Amino acid sequence: MADELRVEVRKRHAGGPEIQAALRMPLAAHSVMVLFGPSGAGKTTVLRLIAGLDTPDAGSIRCGEEVWYDGLWGVNVAPQQRRVGYLSQEYALFPHLTVRGNVEYAARDGPADDLLTRFGVSELAGRYPRQLSGGQRQRVALARVLAARPRVLLLDEPLSALDAPTRVRMRADLRQMLAGAQVPAMVVTHDRTEALALGDSIAVMIAGRLRQAGAIASVFDHPADAEVAEAVGVETICPARVVARGGGLVTVAIEDARLVAVDTGETAAEVFACIRAESVTIERSAAGNPTSARNHLPGAIVSVVEEGPLARVDLDCGFRLMAIVTRQSEADLGLRAGEPVIAVVKATSVRIVPRG
Amino acid sequence: MEWQAIWLSLRLSFWTTLILVAIGLPAAHWLAFSRHRWKFLVEAVVALPLVLPPTVLGFYILVAIGPHGPLGKAYAALTGGMLPFSFQGLLVASVLYSMPFAVQPFASGFAAVDRKLIEASWCLGVSRTGTFFRVIVPLSAPSIVTGMILSFAHTLGEFGVVLMVGGNLAGITRTVSIAIFDEVEGLEYSAALHTSLLLLGISFVVLAATYGLRRRFWDVWPMN
Repeated sequence: MADELRVEVRKRHAGGPEIQAALRMPLAAHSVMVLFGPSGAGKTTVLRLIAGLDTPDAGSIRCGEEVWYDGLWGVNVAPQQRRVGYLSQEYALFPHLTVRGNVEYAARDGPADDLLTRFGVSELAGRYPRQLSGGQRQRVALARVLAARPRVLLLDEPLSALDAPTRVRMRADLRQMLAGAQVPAMVVTHDRTEALALGDSIAVMIAGRLRQAGAIASVFDHPADAEVAEAVGVETICPARVVARGGGLVTVAIEDARLVAVDTGETAAEVFACIRAESVTIERSAAGNPTSARNHLPGAIVSVVEEGPLARVDLDCGFRLMAIVTRQSEADLGLRAGEPVIAVVKATSVRIVPRG
Repeated sequence: MEWQAIWLSLRLSFWTTLILVAIGLPAAHWLAFSRHRWKFLVEAVVALPLVLPPTVLGFYILVAIGPHGPLGKAYAALTGGMLPFSFQGLLVASVLYSMPFAVQPFASGFAAVDRKLIEASWCLGVSRTGTFFRVIVPLSAPSIVTGMILSFAHTLGEFGVVLMVGGNLAGITRTVSIAIFDEVEGLEYSAALHTSLLLLGISFVVLAATYGLRRRFWDVWPMN
């Protein structure tokens, strides 16, 4: 109860949708909560309200025992006193200060050599922000925020300012940096891979409302309603372990099943294997012609749910796998609960995302 | 050559600029960031000297700093002295007259500072005042220098207000532009020519130096 960030706010920007959010984030040192949703859902606004940069129309914000905002009592603590580490999308490094100047700008413990080293930017200490790459800027910004010893980290789309290859590399780095920071963090993102790679828990926001919150895998696997399902994507997400690498492919184990995926260069051993339901093909028997697909998973149908012209088939292949087929195929193959089938998945359709 | 008048003008410009930095920085900060409903009225008042005839402005200032005016009474009570036809009185007039030349560049410089940088500083726990001096002022340094130069140059060349408030007392209120006017009135054209040329030279050198410095110095200022 005490060690939580509790937010219950309402806010309407002139001309924008009304934002209503109620969320709780544990203030455990290593927890990362992802605030997830499509662009324009109001995620950044929630972050700014927590940071004190915008004022809610009504509601309350509490951090542990402290009241940061209370509409009824007229309490509104200034951002300076909240001690949140707010990292905006473009990192907002001070252009007139060097890397060292930026990190030491609000350092509470004097010189920041430790932090500079920890974030691998000590060689860049004398450079100015415009001389840094996107990834370096992000490290410096994070080091600067941590130097002020925040109680909570708020990161707004921390990877969106980076180009695609850097983003993939920084994703794993960021996860490690967050784990090493020992500060609870809330990360805003609209990217599902980022959410999986960075978060422990997730809160899904759509059109200004907080729709579902919980552990990442459970929210992604069991979306509360159709809109949340659309936002997170219909997808199978399974915790997996890397058992072999080679030839540009990586083999992961999910329980007893083995899956082959394309190696994206992630080095983590503990991963999530993600398979979109649309990319799962169902065969009746293995006797057919050879195919190019690398994964042929024997299993049984758990249930079939018809949705308009499509049918969602829940499979048990040693792990739960969701497939979407047309009603026509469903009828032709006679797909019914209990029937044995083979799920076919191309290696390129299995995405491997590192797990914290 | 009116060395005394030139020296007086330079002194007047120097002190006017200094006072305008002290008053103008906070005023411009308020103008750039306040969301007060009546802000536009203050903006209009600050800009008034731009459009008001110097004689009108000078007349009001003269009344205000006169022995029966509010400013004059306060000054007399504090120092026992009188403001009209004194260097101090001239300084008050110059500060008011050059106010927009300082405040407007300051304010537009402040307003151009990326809001995200200011918010980042607040979230790092640095107070509004601290943020002003450590982020806003350094990042709008070119605008501040511009405002200072404009105030200096504008005071150097002022005529109407000085004549109304200060008169023409050698060494006290006789500025260089009044000296030139005097010389022309007295048909001393060659003296007027020399003094004018010197004023032109000073003005040009000041402006050229500013723009030159801005090119050489501010361009390397890391503005992303």
